[in-house]
Amino acid sequence: MTQDGEPVIGVANLCKCYGDVKAVDGVSFTVGRGEVFGMLGPNGAGKTTTIEILEGLREPDSGAVTVFGMDVTRHAPSIKQRIGVQLQTVSLYPRLTVTELLDLFGSFYEHRLPTKQLIDAVDLGERARARSMNLSGGQQQRLSIALALVNDPELIFLDEPTTGLDPQARRSLWDLVKGLQARGKSVMLTTHYMEEAAELCDRVAIMDHGHILEMGTVPELIGRRFKERAVFFDTTPMLPADQLGKLQGVTRAAQEDGQTVLYSSDVAGTIGTLLALADDLKVEPHNLGIRQATLEDVFLDLTGRALRD
Amino acid sequence: MNTLLRLTVANMKSLVRDRAALFWTFFFPVMFVLLFGVLFSGSGDSKVSVGFVDQDGTAVSTQVHQAFAAVPILSLQTGTLDDEKAAMQRGDVSAVIVIPKGLGEAVGKSMAGQKASSALQLYVDLSKSQTTQVIQGIVTQITNGFNLQLAGGSAVVGVDQQTLQSTNISTVAYLVPSILAMALMQLGVFAAVPLVQQREKGILKRIGATPLARWKLVGSNVLLRLVVAAVDAVLILGIGIAVFNVQIVGNVLAIGGLVFLGAGAFLALGFMLASFLKTEEQATGVVQVVQMPLMFLSGIFFPFDFMPSFLRTVARFLPLTYLGDALRQVMVNGTQIAPLGVDVAILAGWLVVCLAISARSFSWE
Ligand SMILES: Nc1ncnc2c1ncn2[C@@H]1O[C@H](COP(=O)(O)OP(=O)(O)O)[C@@H](O)[C@H]1O
Ligand SMILES: [Mg+2]
Repeated sequence: MTQDGEPVIGVANLCKCYGDVKAVDGVSFTVGRGEVFGMLGPNGAGKTTTIEILEGLREPDSGAVTVFGMDVTRHAPSIKQRIGVQLQTVSLYPRLTVTELLDLFGSFYEHRLPTKQLIDAVDLGERARARSMNLSGGQQQRLSIALALVNDPELIFLDEPTTGLDPQARRSLWDLVKGLQARGKSVMLTTHYMEEAAELCDRVAIMDHGHILEMGTVPELIGRRFKERAVFFDTTPMLPADQLGKLQGVTRAAQEDGQTVLYSSDVAGTIGTLLALADDLKVEPHNLGIRQATLEDVFLDLTGRALRD
Repeated sequence: MNTLLRLTVANMKSLVRDRAALFWTFFFPVMFVLLFGVLFSGSGDSKVSVGFVDQDGTAVSTQVHQAFAAVPILSLQTGTLDDEKAAMQRGDVSAVIVIPKGLGEAVGKSMAGQKASSALQLYVDLSKSQTTQVIQGIVTQITNGFNLQLAGGSAVVGVDQQTLQSTNISTVAYLVPSILAMALMQLGVFAAVPLVQQREKGILKRIGATPLARWKLVGSNVLLRLVVAAVDAVLILGIGIAVFNVQIVGNVLAIGGLVFLGAGAFLALGFMLASFLKTEEQATGVVQVVQMPLMFLSGIFFPFDFMPSFLRTVARFLPLTYLGDALRQVMVNGTQIAPLGVDVAILAGWLVVCLAISARSFSWE
């Protein structure tokens, strides 16, 4: 959580183009030691490009990119010794077993964890002798994480670790990531699931079209745009708008899709005075409810689009 | 264990656990040797049936008849020219040897010091090039023997025997180096498939995210294929020697050197193909499209001299022609298409050019 000392990742004004496509267009952020940092954004936002530049797999066009304080283009070999990588696509030799793959990848590093310990860490004990091609999607993803951990890295990159997994497999992967964080590892992950970002990340950067639009903790991101919660009910002419605007705590009243939405800094007061008013006028507000703003609302507010279009 | 070796072992495991790859790299060439070996040598009754037509009917022609009858692998069947030609068309005999009228007379004149000549006629079936080659060899040897005798040379029986024996061997012996050349070509070209597969699956990129040096990734693939080349060579030569009594004359170092050079040249071709292919399906298709013509147009299964001239021109541009040629020269003293040095230079040049193109174009993701 705390960002003490030198950041493990430092990115300043990073740009990367593919022909006319500005995949990453002036991105800057830092990730502190022990922090779980998430990049949230739709497909094509530039998340993979950013993360793979940090992993030393792609060359930046411009900008300063450091990992552990070292320039990624000049110190790739020593950085690679200390990071763990999971790519967006599953990338395993299909005919090698779980044990063989972990042994093989372990041999690429100066320092490595015992294969048995890694298998236990990702709960693949029963499939240790299975060929990777015969594992389920969730198991392959867990093996992929185990491979990212073979060198006991200080910093782990996870590119869309739960895309395509069922909810149960996703939960078990979340637990794994939380376990890493508890052990003091720094993690940078990308996702296009806002629940995932909200569940796992200390800080989130919202990314679209190669830009970071907003960055901070999840409550910060929501709080920055949505200071109030919303009280909503089906619009009825019996409740005049000018009276609703004067209810306790209401800062703004709006009509959306046949619903009246009251943004309120005091939800309990708003509902109390609303019900009293309705009682006086002998009407009953239908489908009354309260809603909290989510990262989804933040994204919608930032881009005018839903995240999962 | 060294990481290079570990990676090679990993690639090796991937290979032997892949049935299709296993078939093409090991069983296919072995099957080829066995099949051709049985077809062309067999045990005992592998004799070549030849029609013999004596239109001369003199003591000399009888002598010639006896000379041919004494050749162990020939089974002579005598008759009229028409009968024997018909037999050849039916496929009962593979060739027809005709002693024209006047042979005895010509020999008599020449012994009396007068100028005279006569020629044996030989009908051959070009579709049976292997057999044809054998029979032509025999006919040439026997006529040479007679000419030598007429010119006052020493007895020729012994010479004939020796020559005939080596001609007998040459049918299968010709094929063993050819099949080895084919196997080396295939193992190199087919190496493109797992490489493309590993790139498509992101394995090459994933390994790129580890500290492993790139040259080790390439090196492990080369090492694996060289091991396969050695295994293929031992299997093919072993079967040739043990099962079909092929005599290998060249020295082990020269043969080994050629095997690795050949494997290297075609591996470079495989790498080059992998540089331009995107998907595994593409790779499997293109690899077949490349290896089939190489196999059939390079003259490794047909003696060069019997190929139609346009095919010969095509073959002269194909590297497999030179690998086959070099292996035959070194292993069984085969007649050469090009001098050995030229073969080696062409293969080495091919290797360098393909590697250079791969180095420029190969992408890791
Ligand atoms: N290797 C590449 N070649 C060309 N264009 C690319 C390449 N990689 C990514 N892009 C483009 O860059 C943009 C960002 O892609 P990417 O970083 O993969 O986004 P994300 O991971 O957020 O989905 C997209 O428009 C994509 O098409
Ligand atoms: Mg991506």
